[in-house]
Amino acid sequence: MSTIEIRKITKKFGEFVAVRDADLKVEAGEVVCLLGPSGCGKTTTLRMIAGLERATSGDVIIAGQRMNELAPDKRDIAMVFQFYALYPALTVGENIAMPLHYEGLSAAEQQARVKKVADILHLGDVLDRLPGRISEGEKQRVAVARAIVRDPNCFLFDEPLSRLDVELRHSMRGQIKGVLSNLSKATVIVTHDQLEALTMADRIAIMRDGLIEQVGSPHDVFAKPANLFVGSFIGTPQMNLISANFKSYNNGKAKVTFDKQDVDIGVNHAVAKLKPGQITVGIRPRAFSVVGKDTKDTIEAVSELIEPMGAETLIHARTKTGNDIRVVVPRDKRVKIGETLHLVPDPAQTHIFGEDGKAVRA
Amino acid sequence: MSQSSSFLERIGFFKSGNVGESGWGRTLGVGLISLFYFLPVLFIIFTSLKPQDMALSVPPTLSPTSLFGLIPDHYVFTPTLENFSSVFSRSMTSGGAPEPTGFDRYFFNSIVIASTSVFLALIIGTLAAYGFSRYPLKGNDTYLFIILTTRMLPAIVVIIPVILMFRVVGLSGSYIGIILLYTAFNLAFTIWMMKSFFDELSTDVEDAARIDGSSETKVFLKICLPQVIAGLAATFVFGLILTWNEFLFALLLTGPDTRTVPVAMNQAVSSGGRGTDWTLLASIETLFLIPVFLVTFFLQDHLLRGVTFGTVKR
Amino acid sequence: MSAVVIDRPAPQLFEVAPDNWKLAILAGLVVSILAALALPASVSFWIVGAMAALVAAAFVVNAYRRGYYGGLLVAPAIAVLFVMNIFPLLWSLGLSFFAYQSNQQSIRFVGLANYVKALTNDLAAPANWHALINTAMFVVFTVAAQMIVGFLLALLFSKQFPLRKYLLILVLTPMMLSVVASGVFFTYYYDPTFGILSYVMNQFSNEQFILMDNKVGAVAGIVFADAWMWSPFVMLLVLAGLVSVPKYLYEAAAIDRVSGWRQFWNITFPYIRGLLMLALLFRTIEAFKLADLVILLTKGGNDTLTISYHLIRIANEQNKTSEGAAISYLMLFMVIVLTNLYLYIANRRSQGA
Repeated sequence: MSTIEIRKITKKFGEFVAVRDADLKVEAGEVVCLLGPSGCGKTTTLRMIAGLERATSGDVIIAGQRMNELAPDKRDIAMVFQFYALYPALTVGENIAMPLHYEGLSAAEQQARVKKVADILHLGDVLDRLPGRISEGEKQRVAVARAIVRDPNCFLFDEPLSRLDVELRHSMRGQIKGVLSNLSKATVIVTHDQLEALTMADRIAIMRDGLIEQVGSPHDVFAKPANLFVGSFIGTPQMNLISANFKSYNNGKAKVTFDKQDVDIGVNHAVAKLKPGQITVGIRPRAFSVVGKDTKDTIEAVSELIEPMGAETLIHARTKTGNDIRVVVPRDKRVKIGETLHLVPDPAQTHIFGEDGKAVRA
Repeated sequence: MSQSSSFLERIGFFKSGNVGESGWGRTLGVGLISLFYFLPVLFIIFTSLKPQDMALSVPPTLSPTSLFGLIPDHYVFTPTLENFSSVFSRSMTSGGAPEPTGFDRYFFNSIVIASTSVFLALIIGTLAAYGFSRYPLKGNDTYLFIILTTRMLPAIVVIIPVILMFRVVGLSGSYIGIILLYTAFNLAFTIWMMKSFFDELSTDVEDAARIDGSSETKVFLKICLPQVIAGLAATFVFGLILTWNEFLFALLLTGPDTRTVPVAMNQAVSSGGRGTDWTLLASIETLFLIPVFLVTFFLQDHLLRGVTFGTVKR
Repeated sequence: MSAVVIDRPAPQLFEVAPDNWKLAILAGLVVSILAALALPASVSFWIVGAMAALVAAAFVVNAYRRGYYGGLLVAPAIAVLFVMNIFPLLWSLGLSFFAYQSNQQSIRFVGLANYVKALTNDLAAPANWHALINTAMFVVFTVAAQMIVGFLLALLFSKQFPLRKYLLILVLTPMMLSVVASGVFFTYYYDPTFGILSYVMNQFSNEQFILMDNKVGAVAGIVFADAWMWSPFVMLLVLAGLVSVPKYLYEAAAIDRVSGWRQFWNITFPYIRGLLMLALLFRTIEAFKLADLVILLTKGGNDTLTISYHLIRIANEQNKTSEGAAISYLMLFMVIVLTNLYLYIANRRSQGA
């Protein structure tokens, strides 16, 4: 069975803790993205799975076997490196064939395997060239080809697309996803690009400062962020985070105070359990509807900057006391600079985070 | 996994998990081999600490300490620092009063001559290397090969015309003469080495600086030079080691005032017909080793990076 | 200082201008030849020097006026090399066509006679050949030993480990010793009565061990000392190559389960090939010049005379300057052929890969 599991894994570099008590399980055929800002420990986690880094404590279990002490070559894994790590003195074909030598195949069989993956990844024309003489996109595909040419326990990708330009990135995302879906292996992809994670992953593990903050499907991490960090990290434009004072809950609406005014906001019923006090209200920019007049349910803000984004328009607005609010409205909604907007947040997309930063949710 | 291996790993004896890194186990192994390789040098250093009459003892004395009884007594000598003072002042005739030997002057000469000529070669050679690299002349490779050939002939062939020339011009026995000769002697290596460094640099940054209105002088000093510091250091160390120990040119071209240590060392240990004065030779060499050793040690990191950067083409 | 590129035509041959280097060369040659013929050497030397300076100045002005920075930058190096290296080389090349002994005043043009003598004379030619064959033997043995030992040492240091820096400097130290001291101390190590080697050998057999009393032992002794001193040089170059291999390539190789042998040839070796070639080139050139250790260890005895030591004897001890020059030019010819062969092979390899 091609599965990956890490249990309570911790990595210390001297005093610095790069990864702390990380737990993650990847099933066969599942693609999990480790997503987080740079320096969050996601690459270290991947390298511990690969055996390139030793875990300080905790277990790495691949295909049901504990592999903490095993060197990378004993783990039967395939990995695509951030800088591709193509062997510069070997041709593209020889690069792809490198992992096959271990399996003791005949030259003809090797050729056949290389040709097969080269066809899948459209590398047939460059097989005889050296890595220095091919484009970035081709290098990336060679790195992927070298990983899928054999039948490993699992696949690991370290920032596979970070060196490609936007267009290539888009097409490679699709290609890799297509290739992976045919292989039914446990796959871990490290990335700092949430679009990459949201489009390629079955589940996403969001990391910060060595901790896994949340693991969930792309839909879940977007719709139900577990805490303030995940809420603010996932989604563009960024979620609006407004500090407020929670007064009371009544019938699906929370009475909160900010901007020295009381507002009734539609929220999840779990908020009923919350004690009055300081909270953060998180509202996605697309979750506002603009209404005609000031009511008890509205937040008032004056538009300051308008950025057309094609299908939609992004408005930067400011409340009376200076809180920034980003609002995305459909393209046909005309807003002028200086106009006061009356905004009603959608209860389903409004998140309340308690004083500890955790989401209050049923 | 057995318990013992994980214990050894925990104390850093092995590091199997990290590619390209090893623990104390390797330090131990490489340390033994390095020490074995270093033994002849260590023996010279120890000889400099021996009383004169123990230098040729059989069995040879090998250590200034018995290492808490580990080494049998007949291998142990009592260290003394006397030899070092006799480098600078000793009695020249048996029973005579100590006289200055002039070695302070010879050390001074070695330092002045080696450092000046290596620096000169570095300056002139780096300029030339930059020229060869950025403004290739017609037949660039031929010029470079001709420069290399100046290193191929035995010194003795070049030296006779140089002696004649110096005699005519009055440069024999002068600092200028030997410094110029050593400068030329180091130039070939400097140019070859530094050219490959400049060849490796991307010219984009330089062009950008030119577009921003920097003068050629500024491009060279502010953009190029800082990028090849490792190369300069490596070239400096190689040049220094070669010049510092050069014997034949120094023997034939320096006078009493400009004599360098290798020449003086050769004379000091074989004078008086009493055969080699081992402890004296060892003390001179030990003292003489210290400056290059320190320079190499402090520039070591640059040395490795420098050599790599200068010669590996991607 | 911005680039002053003046698009003015080069001056006519006889137009007196500061950048007319052709005229400067012409005038310089005429004056120099006249001075050399008419005046004593000590005076004419300075006149020739002044003329050379004039030509150099004309070149510099010309280069500056037309923006030939290459020429400007290279000029000081060429000047120093010319005066201290190329000029003496040409001088000794000239001498090789004369009959001249440095302890006599007479000088006589003899054409190729010195070369003919060196190559065909019944007495001189076999001695030269013999010294050359000895040299070839030393070149093969010392360079091979240095390459192998240097390479192995570099492999030892290729990984990062605690105290590496301090152990590395220990291995580098033999290269920093003065040949005089290390050579003399090697005579001590090899000494049949007092030496360490014979002491150690005596522990195993009761016979006195004399390393240097036959050719094999003498050659082995010299090769060992030379290899010990200069293997660190090879090590440094190879090590530089080894540490330049990006770490992620080894990581990828570990993931791809590449065997150690294949990893070395396909990943490591391409990075050190150029440096190995450079080490080979420099060490071969140096090995051809091997003389000092031979002088110190055997004085040429036991059939260890090298061509360089042979030259020192001919040129310095027997004062046959021009004969020595002829032999050394024959030798230079061989070294040039050899190095070009190296460079040719190295270039072909790197293009073929």
